[in-house]
Amino acid sequence: MSEVIVVTSGKGGVGKTTVTANIGCGLAMMGHKVALIDADTGLRNLDVVLGLENRIVYDLTDVIAGNCRLRQALIKDKRYEGLHLLPTAQTKDKSAVQPEHMISLSEELRDLFDYVILDCPAGIEQGFKSAIAAAEKAIVVTTPEVAAIRDADRVIGLLESSGLNDPKVIINRMRTKMVDRGDMMSIEDILDILGIELLGVIPDDEQIIVGTNRGEPIVGNDESLSGKAFRNIVMRILGEPVPLLNLEPNQGFFLKLKKIIGFK
Amino acid sequence: MTQHLLETARDLPAVIIERTLRSGQIVHYEGNLVILGDVNPGAEVTATGDVVVMGVLRGTVHAGASGDQSATVIAFRLQPTQLRIAGYIARSPDGETINPNQPEIARVKDGIVTIEDFPIGGERAGKN
Repeated sequence: MSEVIVVTSGKGGVGKTTVTANIGCGLAMMGHKVALIDADTGLRNLDVVLGLENRIVYDLTDVIAGNCRLRQALIKDKRYEGLHLLPTAQTKDKSAVQPEHMISLSEELRDLFDYVILDCPAGIEQGFKSAIAAAEKAIVVTTPEVAAIRDADRVIGLLESSGLNDPKVIINRMRTKMVDRGDMMSIEDILDILGIELLGVIPDDEQIIVGTNRGEPIVGNDESLSGKAFRNIVMRILGEPVPLLNLEPNQGFFLKLKKIIGFK
Repeated sequence: MTQHLLETARDLPAVIIERTLRSGQIVHYEGNLVILGDVNPGAEVTATGDVVVMGVLRGTVHAGASGDQSATVIAFRLQPTQLRIAGYIARSPDGETINPNQPEIARVKDGIVTIEDFPIGGERAGKN
């Protein structure tokens, strides 16, 4: 039973590619066969985040144009057995990929892999429409900012009207201290507006930036809290009910005590 | 008795929408509009008659869109980005806003859009 999942957000820069890369690596770590498709033609990034940029020979547009076979365009990951990337072209634009192309590609990949995950471009135009056409499940990534949540809400509406019901949300870059000060929307505030199921919360972590720059997704880092958060998300995708992570594990005893008594 | 009640009712068709309206979604209806769900920021609801939202109204709403100044907007939680009744436009105040935890009704009184609590049951008896 393979699944085709699209990772989308509406707004750019909220972490779609990072989330796609980490979920992909996480599922592969658990022994699943995973194909990641970069649907952001013209502005591809997934290859960079995975550290596979230098291995691209053929891409998705070549497969569509019939220049190569699908298997020739698939790049095997250097770290995780079972993880493959289907990159897209950097020198073409979104019109090179139509929804029907995505559907037939995903159908073909579905036979080879357990999970096919599409990294959707920002926006709600052609690239978005092509990316969601093939998906049967959707993950919406947002950050605790009003603009990102507005766009996420818009995207959820569009997903629902194209038959992708019950998308799940990942809240990225959460800063618990700011929430405590009342300067950032809380998880509850966000879920109140979006009204969909929460798949996970990723803390704002410098290590994620370091990891993406090096082409090493944080999910493989056992020490970091954000890596743990991603591993929990992977478990939830696999159907295991993992409780939400406490995002402030380094709290001292006195701080906790203060909090209990009521001093923040 | 039933007939008597109907005679005092406002004779407009009504439609019920059983879903939450999200950003970018628009509903317009020539008549009264009832929404069983929320109206999120960025969504727009317009009706020539009344608008009733059985949920949180955070988006833009326009009741009496063709000029009926007696139209009202009622919501379980009335927190609209902008609220219009006929030709009157109101918006939530800048800065701190009070959000009472109960249903409210907006209508035009003496040329001003006013928002009042919408009490339930006996408290309302005789007022409307």
